[in-house]
Amino acid sequence: MKILAVTACPTGIAHTYMAAEAIEDAAKKMGYEVKVETRGSVGVENELTDAEIKEADAIILACDTAVPMERFAGKKVLSISVSEALKSTDKLIERALNASVYAAADLSDAVASIKEQRAAQRTGVYKHLMNGVSFMIPFVVAGGIAIALSFIFGYNAFEQEGTLAAYLMGMGGGAGAFGLMIPILAGYIAYSIADRPGLAPGMIGGAVAVQLNAGFLGALVAGFLAGYIVYAIKKYIKLPKTLQGIMPVLIIPVLGSISTGLILFYLIGKPVAMINQTMNDFLTGMSGANAIILGLILGLMMALDMGGPVNKAAYAFGTGTLAAGAGSSIMAAVMAAGMVPPLGLALATVLFKNKFTVAEKEAGKAAWVLGASFITEGAIPFAAADPLRVIPSIMIGSAIAGALSMAFNATLSVPHGGIFVFFAVENWPLYILAIAIGTVVTGLIIGTIKKKVEE
Amino acid sequence: MIIEETLIDLETDGTTKEEVIRHLAELAQSQGRIQDIEDYIKAVLHRETEYSTAMGFGIAIPHGKTAAVTEPFLCFAKVRSIDWKALDGGLVDLVFMIGVPENAGNEHLKILASISRKLMKEEFRSGLREAGSSSELMQFLLNSDLGIG
Repeated sequence: MKILAVTACPTGIAHTYMAAEAIEDAAKKMGYEVKVETRGSVGVENELTDAEIKEADAIILACDTAVPMERFAGKKVLSISVSEALKSTDKLIERALNASVYAAADLSDAVASIKEQRAAQRTGVYKHLMNGVSFMIPFVVAGGIAIALSFIFGYNAFEQEGTLAAYLMGMGGGAGAFGLMIPILAGYIAYSIADRPGLAPGMIGGAVAVQLNAGFLGALVAGFLAGYIVYAIKKYIKLPKTLQGIMPVLIIPVLGSISTGLILFYLIGKPVAMINQTMNDFLTGMSGANAIILGLILGLMMALDMGGPVNKAAYAFGTGTLAAGAGSSIMAAVMAAGMVPPLGLALATVLFKNKFTVAEKEAGKAAWVLGASFITEGAIPFAAADPLRVIPSIMIGSAIAGALSMAFNATLSVPHGGIFVFFAVENWPLYILAIAIGTVVTGLIIGTIKKKVEE
Repeated sequence: MIIEETLIDLETDGTTKEEVIRHLAELAQSQGRIQDIEDYIKAVLHRETEYSTAMGFGIAIPHGKTAAVTEPFLCFAKVRSIDWKALDGGLVDLVFMIGVPENAGNEHLKILASISRKLMKEEFRSGLREAGSSSELMQFLLNSDLGIG
């Protein structure tokens, strides 16, 4: 008899290895051959090979976290929690040998049973979101800092080809890290839902969201859509055994990506373009309105979807008011409102440490720099992880900053740059005050309404 | 080294899980292994809520992976029988407490992994219980082929 096992616990420091040892001992006691793959903080050790899995009589999964499952299709699989493996080791081997055969289509059951073991507040959707966000954060940080560095040479220095500033923008901007950020978010949400096959349709869906200018909210739609489509394909499309090999290499990538992409183009393409147009028209109609109210509205718009159609309309409206050499109070309000979201979140991660994950606290440090450089995207990881709390909080802070900037009659004569262009701001002390007030308001609201998050 | 004599306390007074964790955390802090003790304790207690780290055989291994830890460490304590909500329902008399920073090197994690594996062995557990002093215990650990030192 040959028994295989996989162990994995939440922190991956101790119980992963205890369970491995317990299972090895139990199998050896019965005179069986045994190998245990440990997925702890050291990484994956003792990885099971396909040949070993093929020969195995039964497989024990003692896991509290998700592990790749597809490789076990067609084998007897016993899926239990780590604590159960430690508690009743003796009977494990026998139970495994009597376990039901795992079919790839039953992925949902295995995943569901693993999920039940977890803390109740960690629902599926939250887990998928966090998976996407954790993969996206390095792109936001690296890209944002590279862009900020390019601003050091002047807010538009990157337009000069062949300069260091241009190369930094090339790495950080839409052609580099910021262009990858959205597909990565969508791709790894889908990966979390549908396992490995979800990645390509998810990333391609994210790329479509970029083309549609749908911003990170579009990426969330793309990620969940791709994930559940692939999940459904795996569950409902049954091929004869001889053709099963083409599922992962042909059917899932092609069918998954094309259906995700087409649904996005047809379903959200038009509405996104329409929202953008409506917002443009709305703002044009606002031109003569009360300045403070206009600042308030621009602030709300800048923070709503960060890079999506509403934000783009507000930013375009701001740049449209720039005339050569003259300052624009609307442009100033737009920039103030765009700086507040990352700054407010950075402040919140400092003031309310227990409400952010470790990765978010790290992202918070970078968010100071990104916010100061008017790179609103620095707030996206936070907003994507917890949109219903974060988006309203940053909208309120940005609206206040936008309205105050107007009330203080601050003006700005360039379209971008954050603190690097404060020399081009008229009334800059009050302008900074407007941004600071918006930042504090955002930080306090987030700290108040966000739930405690712990890892 | 991940553990040293100063991180071993064979006469711990605490009567509850929380007291023992705090006591050992203070020990680790006094050796400069932890920066923010409250943050570390919170991480450890949170891990306990997922399910108890008392894995049976009278042993508990509370652990926390957090940026509050500056250098990976292992504390060891003998305690008066404590109800640690063990998986087997028994009381705990030996406690290994582990602290790992967010970016711990593999070398340390491997030591912790090998200790975790050893704890499943009866000889190792009785060796821990028999040690009469911190230095004896340290010697026992060094001789147990754990990759320490």
